[in-house]
Amino acid sequence: MSSKIGVYFDAANIGGGLDVEALAAGVKAKWDSLVAVVRVFPVLAEQAQSIVKDIEDNGLDGVLICGASPRQDVELYRFPVLTERVNLREQCVLSYEDPLGNGLVPGQPAPELLVQLATDYINMGVVKLQKGSLPDSAALEKGVRRILVVGGGFTGLTAAAEAAASGYEVVLVEKTDRLGGAVNNIPTGSPLQGPWEDKESTNLAERIAAVEQNPKITVYMSSTVAKLAGQPGQYTLTLNTPEGEKTLEVGSAVVAAGWTPLDPKYMEAMGLGVSPKVMHAAEFGKQFLAGKITARRIAFVLDTTLAEEAAAKQKAEAEAEAQAAEQAAEAAPAEAPAEGEEAVFVKQNLESIEHLRYSNAVNSVGMLRLANTVCEKTNDVTQCYVLYKDMVVPGILERFYRKMQDRLGLMMTKADVTSIREEGDHMVVSCENTLLGMDFDLDCDLVVVPTGLVPVSAKEAIMQFEYRQGPDFPDLDLFDGYLDSNYICFPYETRRTGVYAAGCVRQPMTLDGCLQDARGAVLKAIQAIECAEHGVAVHPRSGDRTYPVFNFVRCTQCKRCTEECPFGALDDDEKGTPKPNPARCRRCGTCFGACPERVISFANYNIDQIGSMIREVSVPKDFKNEGPRILILACENDAYPALDMAALQGHTWSPYVRIIPVRCLGSVNAIWVSDAMSKGYDGVMLLGCKYGDDYQCHFVKGSELCARRMTNIAETLNRLGVEPERVEQFELAIDEAHCVTDMIDGFVKRIEQMGPNPFKAM
Amino acid sequence: MAKVTLTPDSGFARELMDAGGDSLKKCYQCATCSVACPMAPANNPYPRKEMVWASWGQKDKLMADPDIWLCHNCGNCAELCPRGAKPADVMAACRNVVYKNLVQPSKVGEWMSSPKGLPMLFLIPAILWLVIWAIRAAIVGAWFPRTEDGRIVFGQIFYGDYTIDPIFMITFFGAVYLLYKGCSKLWNSFKNGDGKLVVIGPTKPWYYHLLMLLWEEVGSHKKFDTCTAGPKTGQPENNRKFGHMCMIIGFVSLMIVTAIVAGGHWVGKVVPVLSIETPMPLTFPVKLLANFGAVVLLVGLVVLTIRRKRQNPKFFASNYQDWYLLGVIWLVALTGCLSQLFRLADAVHCAYLVYYLHLVFVWMLFAYLPWSKLGHLAYRTCALLFVRMYGRG
Repeated sequence: MSSKIGVYFDAANIGGGLDVEALAAGVKAKWDSLVAVVRVFPVLAEQAQSIVKDIEDNGLDGVLICGASPRQDVELYRFPVLTERVNLREQCVLSYEDPLGNGLVPGQPAPELLVQLATDYINMGVVKLQKGSLPDSAALEKGVRRILVVGGGFTGLTAAAEAAASGYEVVLVEKTDRLGGAVNNIPTGSPLQGPWEDKESTNLAERIAAVEQNPKITVYMSSTVAKLAGQPGQYTLTLNTPEGEKTLEVGSAVVAAGWTPLDPKYMEAMGLGVSPKVMHAAEFGKQFLAGKITARRIAFVLDTTLAEEAAAKQKAEAEAEAQAAEQAAEAAPAEAPAEGEEAVFVKQNLESIEHLRYSNAVNSVGMLRLANTVCEKTNDVTQCYVLYKDMVVPGILERFYRKMQDRLGLMMTKADVTSIREEGDHMVVSCENTLLGMDFDLDCDLVVVPTGLVPVSAKEAIMQFEYRQGPDFPDLDLFDGYLDSNYICFPYETRRTGVYAAGCVRQPMTLDGCLQDARGAVLKAIQAIECAEHGVAVHPRSGDRTYPVFNFVRCTQCKRCTEECPFGALDDDEKGTPKPNPARCRRCGTCFGACPERVISFANYNIDQIGSMIREVSVPKDFKNEGPRILILACENDAYPALDMAALQGHTWSPYVRIIPVRCLGSVNAIWVSDAMSKGYDGVMLLGCKYGDDYQCHFVKGSELCARRMTNIAETLNRLGVEPERVEQFELAIDEAHCVTDMIDGFVKRIEQMGPNPFKAM
Repeated sequence: MAKVTLTPDSGFARELMDAGGDSLKKCYQCATCSVACPMAPANNPYPRKEMVWASWGQKDKLMADPDIWLCHNCGNCAELCPRGAKPADVMAACRNVVYKNLVQPSKVGEWMSSPKGLPMLFLIPAILWLVIWAIRAAIVGAWFPRTEDGRIVFGQIFYGDYTIDPIFMITFFGAVYLLYKGCSKLWNSFKNGDGKLVVIGPTKPWYYHLLMLLWEEVGSHKKFDTCTAGPKTGQPENNRKFGHMCMIIGFVSLMIVTAIVAGGHWVGKVVPVLSIETPMPLTFPVKLLANFGAVVLLVGLVVLTIRRKRQNPKFFASNYQDWYLLGVIWLVALTGCLSQLFRLADAVHCAYLVYYLHLVFVWMLFAYLPWSKLGHLAYRTCALLFVRMYGRG
């Protein structure tokens, strides 16, 4: 609650013919004692020190910087008091065009509409400060500096060793009675370091010994996670061990649960499980290590079209069957489950043929490695035929590919493998469209087919969260069961803060990938503990000190917030009263967007604050002469930067719009739309990121949630007698600056044709 | 669907690697080589397909492939290969394997394919000519005889009528016969290779195509121009065309000389006017042509040898067959020139000894021709002719 605000104008970053002195005088006149200091600097960047001095001398508790976008020069304006920035450059002057679409005339004084725009933004900034406050701390007293690593395979062992080396205690939980996981079954590994050329020893025995001997690491064999409760920095972990249940405190977790091979039933068309002369690559590695491979002609079939086609056919049949069953069910409706009964969690098995496709790169590298090893062992007496549709060797492993293929007995061709069958004492693989310029049959003694890497997360609820939203990670079906991140650029994130995925449970990957993953995920796990200790958000609003505060007095226990939180941050009690876990929270505001009672707020972002900003805009009554007013609520992760970039690139848009950044469209509360309508705005644009399959939301489903809520908003508007078309959601990706003008001006035009908001006159 | 059953043969791939195609496993079939090659035609270009056949050890495919003879080894493919393969060298290795196995007795081919066979190859003519030397020495009564007027006349020992002429005629026509056998074998394998073009309507006779081929390609050496005029890869100009042309002119001159001398000798027995006696005076036109041929041959040898020495081993390798051929020609030319010089210098021992060696090396050049790289003069012509008549498929 700023009550003594300093307003600073950065003249160099305003321009546009605006009379900055007049704006400054206007602010002072309007807000009087609330605004203690108003200054205009020719170049504010050079005067940051004088602001600090003002804060000390005048006891300011709020600073308002009017100039460039808040995305610019962030480092320059960090003050110990609440600070806001008014975007007078990008979203006011640079993007200005008059209602006819003409830009500013250089050298001329600013047109009236631009002055109104600037004034509105400045006033909104003052209100934002007035209604905001500095957050108090949600820091934990002491975080538990112990990291849980689930899975004792290559990734898990690396993660445990790295975490211990960084000074953290480690609890390593292995499901089986043997450490090492899948790496136990490979003769040699793909390269882990430069020059990335040759096969390398996995040094598994050394890695295991190092972990077992490390005093900081406690290994629980033949154990699983029974329960994980609490939040980052203070989780309570319950383990199922052979000695019974065991309870431990941990601060964060790395999930390196690995994979299991795809069920052979998916690969029957390739002969797997049908003929003993067909085996998948991982099994081949195991047999080879055991010295059981005597075949001299081995076909490595990377083309999985046969299996995929069979699976597609089966799927079509199953769908037809399901449809028939559905029709039958319609005729005799099943009994609906009793109202109020809590559904028992049943893990959906997400194993599918898709896992085979995702595993292509790992199999490409693996088969090259295996084929080379077999040839080497027998001095090329063994001939290995690698038949691929797509040889996918990622990144620098190209060098490995070179080295592996440079082996006399290893022969490769692209081929459509059309059949794999047993004939007499050998196998016959039929190939079409080959690089040899002819279709041919290959006689061989053994056929090796790819291994489908099915993540353990597709079949088991690994972490057994004791969370309101259930024991498993949400939305795994989006990733076909892989525990992969919802961000492209932050690979270890899961939808559960403090729990980070690494290795093949996340994506099928080669050993070098596992190594990197283990290290990365450990860094994230450490960061989660540290951030919990400091009471700041981990990701993606890293360092954000605010957190949702609940006014439980008004809470009706509707559970919307606990259900809609994309990260399961909120638990609840039996009555349904939400129980916040600040360290799990990512500060997206989805909960407060969901709350019909508006009981949730952040210190510097709350319902009343944004509502007041909306109301602070002066909306003219005369629609015809002074034009409409349109509110834009823009997602600050994608849409807001896109608007800035559009302005910097010279795109302009209607002067009738007023833009307010929001943390996420998921944080847009329907009351703001009502506020805007009753204030007399003629339309509301909601600019969010893309959603659906190609979603880009930082918070997984904010814009999707918003779109869903739009139907409720439309109903409300209908009830009020306002056309629902006045509120529209748009998808604007960060790289779509060129679309901004058409999007905004198009909407303004539609509103102009629609006429004024019926509430305007009231 | 009657499909072929492929028989991958890493043994044959190893044979190719040993014959100079050591980089064949590096290929990953991007076909940059086929695009870079200034000679490869648009349809079914080479050498991409040859590389995969080589990797899979497809001997029959490669032996029946006229394309391996179309390559003139400019090295653009190797220079542009992203994987460090040398497709032109692999094609050369394929040709070497053809030389080795095409005609009987293939034992000779085996000797020709590695330095290990060299002593054997040398000993055969060395003993042959030594025996003749010994017999004649017994008849003449001296190992290093002079004529009554004190001149050195090689014919005293290596008497044309009964020694040189019959032996070289048998050798020469034997080699020609073997080359013919080889060519017809190649021709048949080209014909039986799959995917050949069916020529509809009347075609011109083979000798027309052969004449056009000799006129347009061999005579002009224009393929060498196409080769160097390929993509600019920063290679130094290497005088390949000039060197090769010198060699051909040298050899053709010396062949004409040989034909005239042999003709003069035998026809002269019937029509004494046309008789030519050796040694010929240095100003005699035929002798002039002979010495001109020798000098041009030497120039060609120097140019080609320097070129091979200067090649960047990253992009070209010279295989054993390359060096064998160059070496034998060097020896033929050097011993030829030296024997004349020693004769003129009246160094009787050296003259006979060097002339003896000259005969050994000339015999090696001709007798082993069907198994040597020099065989390309017939085999390549055969492949080019086939392509002219039937296309490449």
